[in-house]
Amino acid sequence: MRAWTIGVLAAALTTAASAQFAAPAPEKLKGTALTPARLPDGRPNWTGFWVTPNGLLEVYRGPSGITGAPPGTNSRNSRRQDLPRLKPPYDKQYEDALRKSAAGEIADPVALCFPPGMPRMMGMVYGMEILQTPKVISITSEWQAATRRIWMDLDKHPSPDELDPTYAGHSIGHWDGDVLVVETVGVREDVPLDFGYLPHSPKLKIIERLSQISPGVLVDDIRIEDPDSFEDAWTYKLAYLYKPDFRLREYVCLENNRNINEEGQAVFK
Amino acid sequence: MKSARQVRTLILLLALTAPRAFAHHSFAAFDDTKLVTLNGTVSQFQWTNPHAWLEVKVVNDDGSSDNWMVEMLSPNVLGRMGWNRASLRPGDQVKVVLHPARSGAKGGNMVSVEDKNGRPIGGPQQ
Repeated sequence: MRAWTIGVLAAALTTAASAQFAAPAPEKLKGTALTPARLPDGRPNWTGFWVTPNGLLEVYRGPSGITGAPPGTNSRNSRRQDLPRLKPPYDKQYEDALRKSAAGEIADPVALCFPPGMPRMMGMVYGMEILQTPKVISITSEWQAATRRIWMDLDKHPSPDELDPTYAGHSIGHWDGDVLVVETVGVREDVPLDFGYLPHSPKLKIIERLSQISPGVLVDDIRIEDPDSFEDAWTYKLAYLYKPDFRLREYVCLENNRNINEEGQAVFK
Repeated sequence: MKSARQVRTLILLLALTAPRAFAHHSFAAFDDTKLVTLNGTVSQFQWTNPHAWLEVKVVNDDGSSDNWMVEMLSPNVLGRMGWNRASLRPGDQVKVVLHPARSGAKGGNMVSVEDKNGRPIGGPQQ
């Protein structure tokens, strides 16, 4: 191979690598304005289809995102760098899960066709649909056809005896000006918080502040509190771009999942 | 001018450096540092979730044949890359580039597919 070819290849590879890992600040994203901008009740109108700014299959994590690892992957089974310190026994549980995953002994529940749950479904890799009604704001991620409902007519969660742990958890929301504030509890303990088996306790609470920082650019400021498993709160941002021409497609994982063996492990066969 | 081969090499190397996006499962089962090229005949094309699958019959030098299982992304993503359920039919002659399975199984993760005239089918998968 001639020298110029090697030079071109090296430059292209460097560019490709940096482009893949660089996440522009949400403030620099350009979106498409929604019409109307507001609903009859005066609240911001976000009803429609949204996609991740880096393109399909790229989870956007904004400026506080992962360093040194491609967004959205867990193939290296490495510990995320931006996590707060985990408390026992969750620290050991986490390390064990990463080790077993690297050895192919366990599979991500999503590979077994379980829903990604909260907060992972908001880091969707395809597209999502937001539907607003006075009583409920519904968000469906095309990824695993996962839907969550944010109850706008409730100001508290059910009592512990009435709160059934679910994949998406129980979410209540209210408007703080033009910011949608959502509090989620009741996420099943077997739902990992990220793409790499991050565990949590029954005390998990997810607080989101969703705001449209410019026309067609929505940012989800996520704060994860779990006093039993994390020493500090874990915060990160996700961003979405409004795509008026996008249409969500059906995605039923159980249709033809050939990646699971008899032991429930993710395999290629 | 770069030759077609050089351009192809460049595209494939770019594909090699692309992070393996997680949508349904980890792609650790595939060796993304290697590329295998198959020339064969489509025996089956499954346009399904969570992954589309392409099965290709490849005749070996000794006259025997293998059925290769080629995993692809999901129809929602492939559809936005120019693929559809009629992109491939049984009997079509194809050239498939894939990242091979680490297990040594006859299969892998699709990188690109060309028809018998060398025309790309859909978009390359990264």
